[in-house]
Amino acid sequence: MKLLSKYTWVSLSVSLVIFIIGGFIYFEAISYLSDQQLDRDLTEEYAEKVSFIDVHQRFPKPFEFDSYEAEFKSIGQAYEAPHFVDTTITAHSGNKTISCRAIIGTVRFKGINYLMTITESKEAARTLIQLVSAITLILIVLLFLALFVTNRLVFKRIWQPFYKLLERLKDFSLTGEAKQPVRASAKIDEFKELNHAIELMEEKARDEYQSLRSFTENASHEMMTPVAIINSKLDNLIQDESLSNTQLGQLEDIYSASRRLSQLNQSLLLLVKIDNGLMHDVAEIDLSACLKNKIKQFEDILQSKNITVNLNCLPKKIKASIYLIDILLSNLISNAIRHNLKGGEITIMLDEHMLSIENTGSGESLDTHKIFERFQKHPASEGTALGLTIARNICLSYGFKLEYQFAPPYHRFYVLF
Amino acid sequence: MKLLIIEDEEVLVDSIKTYLTEEGNICEVANDVKSATEKISLYEYDAIILDIGLPDGTGLEILNFVKMLRKDGGIIIISARDALDDRLTALNLGADDYLIKPFHLAELKARILAIYRRKSFKGQNLLTYDRIEIDLDRREVRIEGRLLILTKKEYDMLLYFIANKGKVISHNALVDHLWRDEITWAESFDFLYTHIKNLRKKLSEATSKDYLSSVYGIGYKFI
Repeated sequence: MKLLSKYTWVSLSVSLVIFIIGGFIYFEAISYLSDQQLDRDLTEEYAEKVSFIDVHQRFPKPFEFDSYEAEFKSIGQAYEAPHFVDTTITAHSGNKTISCRAIIGTVRFKGINYLMTITESKEAARTLIQLVSAITLILIVLLFLALFVTNRLVFKRIWQPFYKLLERLKDFSLTGEAKQPVRASAKIDEFKELNHAIELMEEKARDEYQSLRSFTENASHEMMTPVAIINSKLDNLIQDESLSNTQLGQLEDIYSASRRLSQLNQSLLLLVKIDNGLMHDVAEIDLSACLKNKIKQFEDILQSKNITVNLNCLPKKIKASIYLIDILLSNLISNAIRHNLKGGEITIMLDEHMLSIENTGSGESLDTHKIFERFQKHPASEGTALGLTIARNICLSYGFKLEYQFAPPYHRFYVLF
Repeated sequence: MKLLIIEDEEVLVDSIKTYLTEEGNICEVANDVKSATEKISLYEYDAIILDIGLPDGTGLEILNFVKMLRKDGGIIIISARDALDDRLTALNLGADDYLIKPFHLAELKARILAIYRRKSFKGQNLLTYDRIEIDLDRREVRIEGRLLILTKKEYDMLLYFIANKGKVISHNALVDHLWRDEITWAESFDFLYTHIKNLRKKLSEATSKDYLSSVYGIGYKFI
């Protein structure tokens, strides 16, 4: 739920409750006041009637006292003290009932007690209450409208900088260029602060990343020299003719280890280089020609594993580093060979939007979340475990997308241009 | 051949010197820019092995210095930095080759010899070893005048072996040489055996002599 609608809902429900309570209080207050007024009038009337009866020694006729209707009922010697009641009467015109206030008291006339009831219509008070209710309703509607309008127009504009900042955070990339700060936020303190904090954070993240990157680069370079020393010592050592077969076997193992170390180092350096975007050999590349060359390059291994390659290429040209695209294709194709079965197949398809490489292989899907991560390697794999990471990073650096899909029996890697 | 090794890593210098020093070769060493420029201005070298990162400057300064003095010797850069830009800068400044650390000494030797041959035998680029004659420009191998047909990998291997004659060359060095910039496989070693077997067969059929001997578990030696 958006902040805006959440806030609108809360403020609307609170106002609604307050208006309902307010309306109720109005109703009660007006009823109370009008009852008080009626009671005063009725008391006065009662006193007048009693003195009228005293003076004239007869009951008054209805027209002698304007709107007040009085009824007399003989109750013998019983006595009832004057008190007020709420009652209804039926209007003459029809069956409409009108709510009324009445005073009931006892008058003594010619030695008999009469119960006198004087009623007065509450119609006037009811009209007032209706009016107040109508006004309250109109106010509620107006308030709703006002809130909607404010939220739609004003709120959206006030929150504009926030959404811009949000966009900026979403677009943030450690390797990307620094973006222009959001200017519109200058008016509101909170946004100003937020903007500032984000700028600081971006700067810090970039700095840290930069130093991590140069650390990796330096560490890898520094490691190359010791590996070179190991290699050169081995190259000299194996010239010794007195070495036994066991010793030679161990030396071969050291060779392999130093070879792996240097491959790993080269991969790490390559990753740094891709991240740095320091590739200057950018040219227009004919991908289908590159693919054909690559397949030719892998002929030996394809033959030895007896793998069939189906190549289905439409012309597609991209502008990119020749070196990186070569590595990308090498990594993807060698991956498809490495994890293939003996006598398996590879299908490569290329069109304007996509390059897809499918291979037969193990019957289980790879973990789609992990395969592109560094050093995530299948137990049976012999590579440096950086091949797919490198491939993905090359794709990212050109705005392509590298994805994996398992559609038994095919493992499918595809690049979306 | 007179060589100058400019490299500050003394253990590495030691290995290079041991490997390259043989009959007819003299190796001299400089550990920094200052002593290197001194030596270069005083003596002539057939080839200079130059490290880029030196304690008191970069190898590129030395490269400039050599070119300024118009010295004839070949220059091969050995560097831990394989940035394309570094490589291009060095080659543009007049380096003859660029080798990235770590490398095999057999590779270094083969490259030095290739530069040396290019520089010293202008015109007729022929390499003779025992009864084997190689026309380097046309990439043709002849044995006593008869053409021997070799595949590209076999030809590369033969040159590599001749450059490192009498030395044991490890499987690893051979695989790195044959599949230089390509992805290598666990199967690459099997391919290597196949290529070696074929080369050996072709050579012994043509010369009735076995030039290649295998050294148990580690590699081959060309005699």
